[in-house]
Amino acid sequence: MITFTFNGLELTARTGQSVAAALLSHNERITRLTRISGKPRGIFCGIGVCFDCLIIIDGKPNQRSCITEVKEGMVVVTQDGA
Amino acid sequence: MEHKHQVIVVGGGPAGLNAAKYAANAGCEVALLDSATRLGGQYWRNTGNEIEDQATHHDFDQGSLLMDAVTANPRITHYPNTTIWSAAILDDEITLRTQDDVFSTTRLILATGAYDRSLPFPGWDIPGVMTAGAAQSLLKGEGVIAGKRIVVAGSGPFLLPVASGITSHGGKVVGVIEAAGRFAWLPEILTLLQNPTKISEGLGYLLTLRKAKVAMRFKQAVVAAHAGADGLLDSITVANIDAEFRIKSTYSLQCDVAAIGWGFTPDTSLAGALGLKEEVAADGSVVVVVDDNQCATSPQPEVQVFAAGEITGIGGSGLSLAEGAIAGLSAAASRTNLRQLKKLRRRAHRFALTLQRVYSIPAGWQSWLTPETIICRCEEVNYEAIQDVSEKFGADDARSAKLMTRCGMGMCQGRICSRNVADLLNSPDSDRIKGVYRPIIAPITLGELAQDGLL
Repeated sequence: MITFTFNGLELTARTGQSVAAALLSHNERITRLTRISGKPRGIFCGIGVCFDCLIIIDGKPNQRSCITEVKEGMVVVTQDGA
Repeated sequence: MEHKHQVIVVGGGPAGLNAAKYAANAGCEVALLDSATRLGGQYWRNTGNEIEDQATHHDFDQGSLLMDAVTANPRITHYPNTTIWSAAILDDEITLRTQDDVFSTTRLILATGAYDRSLPFPGWDIPGVMTAGAAQSLLKGEGVIAGKRIVVAGSGPFLLPVASGITSHGGKVVGVIEAAGRFAWLPEILTLLQNPTKISEGLGYLLTLRKAKVAMRFKQAVVAAHAGADGLLDSITVANIDAEFRIKSTYSLQCDVAAIGWGFTPDTSLAGALGLKEEVAADGSVVVVVDDNQCATSPQPEVQVFAAGEITGIGGSGLSLAEGAIAGLSAAASRTNLRQLKKLRRRAHRFALTLQRVYSIPAGWQSWLTPETIICRCEEVNYEAIQDVSEKFGADDARSAKLMTRCGMGMCQGRICSRNVADLLNSPDSDRIKGVYRPIIAPITLGELAQDGLL
């Protein structure tokens, strides 16, 4: 088991899981808000093709949550505008 | 770092694995480049936990054997987590760049696979709407069931393993919605009977679904999605559709996930960047043109480029394995077993063409769109904007649409929308091919470029 934070909330994940999958297992479905209309988006293609599940990881924006492995102590934040 | 290899294979799925194996067994020194951490590709989603993988995949044994053979082969070097952002032919050599490395060779085998084909509809950008492949990768790759009430929809045989996988892992599938008819297979029954393993695989999925009392609906499609107050998927509109996919009548269905797949789109980004000859296949996808030995038409005859698997036309794992083997042998200039492999390929190809006919996608889906429907998800370009390009300015090409609306200019580089935009603009084949051309294959920051000395 791994512990990470999402918007300040402490969550657990299975070792080797992607950030998107870990979030989804806690029913967290929104990874970002779009930069034009501000609408929520989440995982769509699941394999790194569509760039819809972008998220801020350890301060770095535009990370694809579906293909980024979650790591112990990771700080994950919803991306506002991408 | 710079790496030189006799043969380079890109892609660790069925085609790439077999290509590497056959080239190495024929005496070549091979590098296998793959963007994932573990081999297997999207088909054999290899989590590293063999017991779980066996349980989620109907033929993981075959994949496991092949992956072991490749890993154990001293002539093959596997480069995991290797994402190529640039490909070029320079000074009679093929150069592939990743963030940290430069790979060069004179013999390249591309096996870059495919991703789900998505059709736009009102609400398809709501969180909870995802591709069938996404639901599958969450289950097989991550051990996560995508939602509490899942609808699996779209068209094609892939919907069955997705729905049956979710069901057998305790997930609730509230319906499988297939656009083709229940008896769409009848005219092709002879081809089906020649492929008994496919019949038994399909029956296995259907049995699982029947046991779980999952409703199978035919000649229907998800034509709209609706969000609740929290912005998440709450319900979908399902339509009874005619043979052209036009709406006849509708009903509403509650769900928190709609996993929708309309077959697959080949990922020919690398092939396009290298200037290989491409064409539009019968199913409307852009594919790499190859000869009988899987050899592509390279702009420079000094280097050899082969293509295998889904990028030469969507056909599934059996066809990919055969094409990969032939590409591997051809790259090694060997003819061992070539005739038998070509026979296998011919048979698998016939089956693939049959599937494309049974699950073809007519243009009626365009009638599901409203002016506000998002077409380009990245740049939030709606249907009205695309219509303007065509009606007011008479444009039928992706470039004009891009310049006027920004569609296809976002982070995904048109991977999701370009095929749909081409359909909406009724673009000629030449423009469909240009529409998938991407000189930069994966996003890279200016900082990374500068570090590489390329700025």
